[in-house]
This record gives sequence, structure tokens and C-alpha cells, in this order.
Amino acid sequence: MSTSTMVETRTVSTWGDQVRLQVKVFGTGPALIYLHPLGGFVRDDFLDELARTHTIYAPELPGTSADDTFAIHKVNDIFDLVLVYEEAFRKLGVRGAPAVGQSFGGMLAAELASCFPDLFGQVVLLGPAGLWFADKPWTLEVLTGPPSDLPNLLFRDPSAERPKAMLALPEEPAAAVDALAHLTWTMGCGAKFLWPVPDRGLVRRLHRITAPVLVVWGEDDRIIPSSYAYEYGKRIAGSTVHVLPGSGHIPQVEQMETTLELVSSFLTGR
Amino acid sequence: MKLTYIQQLPYRHLPDDFASRHTESVVTNSFHELVDRSLVHTDLRDALDESMHAARAGFDAVALQEHGSSSYDINPNPDLGAAALAYATGAEGLPVGIYTVGRSLGKSREPLRVAEEQAWLDCLSGGRLLSGFPVGLAYDANINAGVPPIETRSRYDENLELILRAWTDRKPFPWNGRFFQSMGVNVWPRPYQDPHPPVSITGIGNPNTTRFALERDLGFNLVTLGSDPKVAAAPIFETMWSMAAEMGLDANPYRAAMAVTVLVGETDEDAERLYARHVEYSLARGIGRIPMHRLALPGGISPQGLKVLMSQPSPPADLTAPSYADAVSAGVVVAGSPARVREILADYARSFRLGNLLIFLQVGSMPIELTKHNIDLFATEVAPHLRPIWSEYDDDNRWWPVPLGGQPVSKNQAETAGARLT
Repeated sequence: MSTSTMVETRTVSTWGDQVRLQVKVFGTGPALIYLHPLGGFVRDDFLDELARTHTIYAPELPGTSADDTFAIHKVNDIFDLVLVYEEAFRKLGVRGAPAVGQSFGGMLAAELASCFPDLFGQVVLLGPAGLWFADKPWTLEVLTGPPSDLPNLLFRDPSAERPKAMLALPEEPAAAVDALAHLTWTMGCGAKFLWPVPDRGLVRRLHRITAPVLVVWGEDDRIIPSSYAYEYGKRIAGSTVHVLPGSGHIPQVEQMETTLELVSSFLTGR
Repeated sequence: MKLTYIQQLPYRHLPDDFASRHTESVVTNSFHELVDRSLVHTDLRDALDESMHAARAGFDAVALQEHGSSSYDINPNPDLGAAALAYATGAEGLPVGIYTVGRSLGKSREPLRVAEEQAWLDCLSGGRLLSGFPVGLAYDANINAGVPPIETRSRYDENLELILRAWTDRKPFPWNGRFFQSMGVNVWPRPYQDPHPPVSITGIGNPNTTRFALERDLGFNLVTLGSDPKVAAAPIFETMWSMAAEMGLDANPYRAAMAVTVLVGETDEDAERLYARHVEYSLARGIGRIPMHRLALPGGISPQGLKVLMSQPSPPADLTAPSYADAVSAGVVVAGSPARVREILADYARSFRLGNLLIFLQVGSMPIELTKHNIDLFATEVAPHLRPIWSEYDDDNRWWPVPLGGQPVSKNQAETAGARLT
């Protein structure tokens, strides 16, 4: 992807005009919906590669757009959020497009596909949240632990190039404070739908999904154990599960090429 | 000025190797590994005895906080201890305020229980209750009570509005809130004080909280989290008083309070000899052993508030290591001879315009006899020198119970269309 590709921000009025959802749009080709993780929307190599063949529509979770931080208070729970997104996709004319969701965004994609089985043509879940079982407990330590633990929770090897680039903060102190404050708030917005135990009952709804589903998980995920990949797989008829060695919680960063190949093949029906 | 004795209820017998084997005094601290239950019994009794000793020594109020899953302050609900103190002080005829500094509304899922308990305390005490409604520390509201951080403040707003309305509405009313619903709210009793006890809020320097306190005419109590007040509190109160001026509000010092830990000896050396190991216990095994990430969680503080807090001077990076001397020189505790303590506290009161000091005189492992000694020295050698400060405002203290000489609270406090914290 050439770096000259512009990211356009489209604002969609939803929820009786209480939430003006900001959607990042970039790339070329048929529409593809991307639902970002807890850390907010960040453009990365994986998305730039997908943008060669698709027009990416990436809504920002209400509250995480820098100029509209209090929009999160208009969305009370996961069902409000699902209705806000469904309305936005309808208004954008992207119903039926494939959707890719990472972590928190994966949970959201699964919720949307469960509630509205016709909404997405295909669904890719990258290390999705949303399931929690007592025999494989996981915690919100990315939110409740010391910030210094974050790199090791997110990545198998936080010192590698792509993880380092993702974790970097601006060098200028005031800009770093702004970036850190924004990131902290962004994570707090997503946490609203995960807290205190990240289970909003999705397990009871997953059977409603009819779209083809690809599940990709990092084998060394230190946040959500990769055994959850199979929990998703066995609850969604016809789904495909891949657990990738050499990756922690974000396979699209740590195993970018492999993840991209799996996702591209799935999208083209190869 | 008003001097309130504030009491924590620490477990006073944690082992010497606590700091090397345990990372914190909250949330994950292991009860069964650390505690002899018979000592919890004596610690709780001693803490209430210490509060009674302070009430007898002439403090204007006795205060308690609220901290769940905690070994530095075993106090799941301050209304429990306040009930005991309200009865015992009443039985002795002591004209002392009962101040629940910490009935956290950001964590409460039973706001009507708060309204009824507090009204009950006010009636039992004959109108001596001061209601402190803080938002709640992040680890308590969000980890212990499971409230999503981003909802803590909206829950606070709803709970405060409901409680004040439950106290003041003449007739039962239905409540259709986001967090709480009722077919008919009709708490028994209603408060003894008319319209209700004075309400205060505790903050750590988030300007949203300070502004909210001013707009609602609530008392504002500052906790500075282990920092030197001359560095950390000064800009916060400066902001508060300039906000008040911009809003056209009076600069009445009785709006403002600050909590300090005070250790009085005959001399500076005597104070060190008496208290050093108990301060070091508290720093290594108690309140100093609360990691920063337990006090701030993503979503609990707005981006604007975060920017202000992140730009403030940081507290010492590691509170577990400092010695007594470090703690004294860093202003984390005010300790030494009566003259030294008087000078520092009077400076805080005058330079920050504080009409109230909340004074911790028991710290960490300090046993009851030593705590009483500290209380006695403070009451006789320090308090008389501080009381005259701000006496010109004594006839206009609407943040103090009427039966104890205060003025009725401002109607702004219970104005249901009033300022909100979210």
C-alpha cells in the first residue's frame, strides 16, 4: 500500500443522532468492515495490505474519537452498541460486506453476526473476547495491571519491530501525555463492555451465526488463552479455526504475513 | 478551624517480610496466610477506643473511611463504626461530629441503603452526622465492587441525586434511574438535620471534582496520595479558589479540608524514637503498599482530567522503600515536636485556606497506648494553636452540623437539577 493513500473520516448519525459514529474509510475495492481492539483504531501493515483489495470501513467505538470523547456515555451496554453499529452499516450501505474484528472488535463482530445473521457476508475473528469459562479463566489484566506489563501481555515478543512500532509513544513530552491520556480513555471506553468479567452472554447467542466464520488465534496469547479458539469453533457451525505459533494476542501484528494469507484466502473463497 | 480525628483500621501485625513476599495491601493480599483472627478482633476494638479517646480529648469530629479487600484499613462500610461511635459519644454527652468521610457512591449498588443508614446515624446521633460521599478509589469501586470504571461517575451522580431526594422529598416518589429503580422511595428515617446532613466529597486533584464540589456547595476534601502537600496540594487549592472566584462564590475556608498524618513527640528526636517503625510499617506494609495502577483505571478519569493529573508532579515512584526520615522530609507525614507540627499545619491551613484538617494520629502498627499518647499531645500542645485560624468565618460554616454550631446547608446541595460529576 502506498503511504499516499488517504484515510477519510465519515461521520454517520446514529442512535437518534445521539451518537455521531466516526468511520475511517480507506483503500480500494469492495467494502470490508474492520472492528478495532481495545486500544482503538490504529492503521497497521495488515490493514494496509487488505486495503489494496478492499475499501476498509473502520468505525471508531463511541468515545474513542478524539473530538467526541463523551459519546460513550450515550451507549449503555453491548445491545445499545450492536444497534448503533448495525444502523451505521445500513446507512453506509455496507450490509453484506465481510467483517474483521480483533480482540474486543472480534467480540463485537461475533455479537453483531449473532444478532443480525444477514449483516456480514463473512466474519473473521482475530483472538476475539466474549467467551469466559471457569475452567479457563482469563482476566482484564491489560486494564487492571501496571502499564509496564502491557507489552508482555500483548505480544509474544514485544521487542520485535512491528510490536515496538505499535507501542511507541511520541517523543515530545506534552504529545506523549496527550497520546497516553487518549489511549487510557480509549481502553476505558471498550472496558465498559467487558467489565468486570468479559462475558456478556455471547455464548448463548453464537449459535445464531449463519455467515462463514474464520477464527485466528495466537498460540501464545497471554490475555485470552488460545484454547478459546476451539470454543468458538465448536459453537459456530462450519467455522474454520487456525491457531498460529509464534504469536501472542495480536496475530495480525506478530504473524502478519500468515494471518494476511489466511484472511485473504478466506475472503476470496480459496 | 475544625479539627477532625480520622481513623483507619489497619491490621497491625503483618510480618516483617511482608514487603518481600506480597506486592500490595489491597485486592490480592492473602487473609489466611497473614492474619490471626483474634488480633483482628483486638485491632477493631482498639481503633474504636482510639476514636473515643479523640472524642474525649476535644476533637470536633471523628471520622472513618471505606476500603474493601484491604489490610491497611479494614473498613467495608464506615456506617458500622460510625454507629458504634454515634451511640458511645452520645452516651457520654460528647458534642462531637460523626463524619463518614468515605461512603463511596461510585461503588454503591444500594443507594437507598446508604440513604437510610446515614439518616439512621443522623437520628441516633441527634444530628451530628457529616456525610462524606466520595467517588471511591478505583480498586475499591471497580475491582472490588465490579463497577466499570467509565460508569463510576455516572453511578455517583445518580446515587447522590437519589439519596438527597430521598432525604428531602416530603412524599414517596418512584425512581427510574439507569442503575437503580424503585416503585416508591420512602426511606425511614429521614435525617435529623433539616434539610439534611452537610455533604462533602473527597478528591485527588481532578479539576472536574473540584468544580463539582463548588457548584453543588459541597465540602471538598483533598487526599494527596503520598505527596508533599506543599508541592501537590498547593496548585489544587489554588485552582479551587480561583474557580470559586470565577463562579462568584465566597472563599469560605470551611469549604476545604485536607487529610494529614501527624505524629507528635516532645521533641523531633522523641517523635522519631516513638513513631519511626510504625511509619515504616505503614509505608512498606500498609497504605504505602497500594500500587499506582490500583488507584487509576482506564475510563475512571476523563481525558481532560487525565491530562491534568498526568502533568502534575508525580508522587515518589516507590513508596515502599522510604524511611521515616524520608517520609518526614518529603511531607508525607507531619512529625516532630509540637512547635514543628503547629508551624507546618498552620502553614497548610493558611496558605491553602483550609477550614478543616482531617488528622490521622494512628498509623500502621502503632499500638493503642502510643496512639492515645499522640492524640493527647496533639490535643493539648497543637490543637489550641490551630483553632483560632479562620475564626472570622465561624458564624458561616454551612459544612458543619447545626446542632454543633454550623449553619444549615445550602439548598444547592440537594438541587436535583444541579451540577453533575460525569
